[in-house]
Amino acid sequence: MNFLLDGFITAIRLLFQGDEETYAAVFATLQVTGYSMSASLAMGIPLGFALGYFDFPLKKQLRFITDTLMALPTVFIGLVVYALLSNKGPLGELRLLFTLPGIAIGLTILALPIVISLSAATVEAMDRQLRTTLISLGADRLQLLLSILWEVRFGILAATVNAFGRVMTEVGISMMVGGNIKWHTRTITTAIALETNKGLFSMGIALGLVLLLIAFGVNLALSFLRKK
Amino acid sequence: MTNNSFSSLYQIQDLIHCYQGRPALTIPFLEIQPQSIVGLMGPNGGGKSTLLNLLANVDIPCAGQILFKGRELRPFAQDTRFRISLLPQEAYLLHRKVQGNVAYGLKLRKDRQDRDLKVRQSLELVGLDPESFRHRPWNALSGGEARRVALAARMVLRPEVLLLDEPTAGIDAASAQRIKEAALIARQEWGATLIIASHDWDWLDQVCDQTLHLFKGCILGNGRSNIIFGPWRPRGDGRYEKRILDGQTLVVTRPPEENAALLIGPEDLWLTTTPQPVGGQRQFLKAVITRMSLGKKTDRIMLTLTAADLDLCTHISRADAALQGIQPGSVVWLSYQLEDTNWIG
Repeated sequence: MNFLLDGFITAIRLLFQGDEETYAAVFATLQVTGYSMSASLAMGIPLGFALGYFDFPLKKQLRFITDTLMALPTVFIGLVVYALLSNKGPLGELRLLFTLPGIAIGLTILALPIVISLSAATVEAMDRQLRTTLISLGADRLQLLLSILWEVRFGILAATVNAFGRVMTEVGISMMVGGNIKWHTRTITTAIALETNKGLFSMGIALGLVLLLIAFGVNLALSFLRKK
Repeated sequence: MTNNSFSSLYQIQDLIHCYQGRPALTIPFLEIQPQSIVGLMGPNGGGKSTLLNLLANVDIPCAGQILFKGRELRPFAQDTRFRISLLPQEAYLLHRKVQGNVAYGLKLRKDRQDRDLKVRQSLELVGLDPESFRHRPWNALSGGEARRVALAARMVLRPEVLLLDEPTAGIDAASAQRIKEAALIARQEWGATLIIASHDWDWLDQVCDQTLHLFKGCILGNGRSNIIFGPWRPRGDGRYEKRILDGQTLVVTRPPEENAALLIGPEDLWLTTTPQPVGGQRQFLKAVITRMSLGKKTDRIMLTLTAADLDLCTHISRADAALQGIQPGSVVWLSYQLEDTNWIG
């Protein structure tokens, strides 16, 4: 069991001694997480709002599909994105395979249904009197949308944290689309997988703790938003 | 459609509103005059809230049209959204402090002038001390306080039309009184048109220029009416009856169905203080006067009567009331002509 303690000590050393390889993986992780979260929130919140707020034909079926897509296996997404981005694929000319933006595309596909589905559920669960109140106070369409999103912000934050958790800890897409290239597309999770394969458990645990620390920092920042 | 010489504030034409395909409100024609106080009464599910939501431009009618000053109401229209404000039955407070709630409408209008002063004045209008309430969060208020804050959020906007959906239901007497007073201030200070849905008949009788009785999505008429629900049982002589708890019976013509609702206008019920034989040849119903209220701009007194589990209303002139010595608690005998009764639905 010493490797757990060793892992903890190694994590402190890696972070505080500024280990370049570790920081490269940290930055790669933050970069792909940032890209994919930005894209999935920008698309997912409005789509989730529309799905939860409006009544239209096939709404139930669409909800069912987005709920199902929340459970998409990451290796399957990795496989599909790999096929799309490979030289023979329809998007091969973009030369995004084995790049961080390529990983971010896969992670966006992973996060988008989570953001849409949980945002839609939040908007659906809102008090119906909120709409009446906002219209009664004179809100126009845009003010109505923004005010509702602000009122249901805790639910949207929960959706964001959930999607962030899945994106941060994902391995399959990063491994298949990114190729786990040192200094280039190696993320913390793919580095952990590699270190474990090499039998360097303490290094793997150290990187795991680093990942946990980042997640802690992000959640701490979000909890301040919750208090507002 | 535009008509600058339009005298009505609202004009409703051939209105039908449905929920999930079922008609909830049908109004062939209705006019509401500016600066009037209109009361909406009737049992739950009668269509009062539906009508208020349509007048507030919160919902769009399924068919027909609602004209506001001669123009058709359109969702989010610039010319109406700052003029009409609705206080819903279950007032929703935004998840922020009282100050933020009351000032929210001003913020939407980008009205920054004297915002704090307006919020303070508005809170005072509804009887809340600005200093102790302004910084309270939305979830630290009692039901009555929350309703008053919600009303203050409308009052601060000085709307041309203030629609109140059961504003005094389920709150303490003091809060209810402050809400009633504040609503009248809106009328007095800036000439707001008030449209109030309420079960508080006495209040509506006192303040309204016009009261509409809604039942099953239709306007039965102006003022209070007696709606009596079945079941109706055959008597064997071609007539039907409803037996009330004290054993008296109410005799009617053949109903369209066993549980049909019967309508008797207050003017069709006449009363006498002279004892009459209950169950005799002519139908009399012994009742007790529980409430008397003087209507607005009239010398008629509205009487509320109770006969066991049946509540009824009728009116009487002040002179007749004095002559017969009628007062709350008086026992009276009520009678009506069968041909003056109507079946609803």
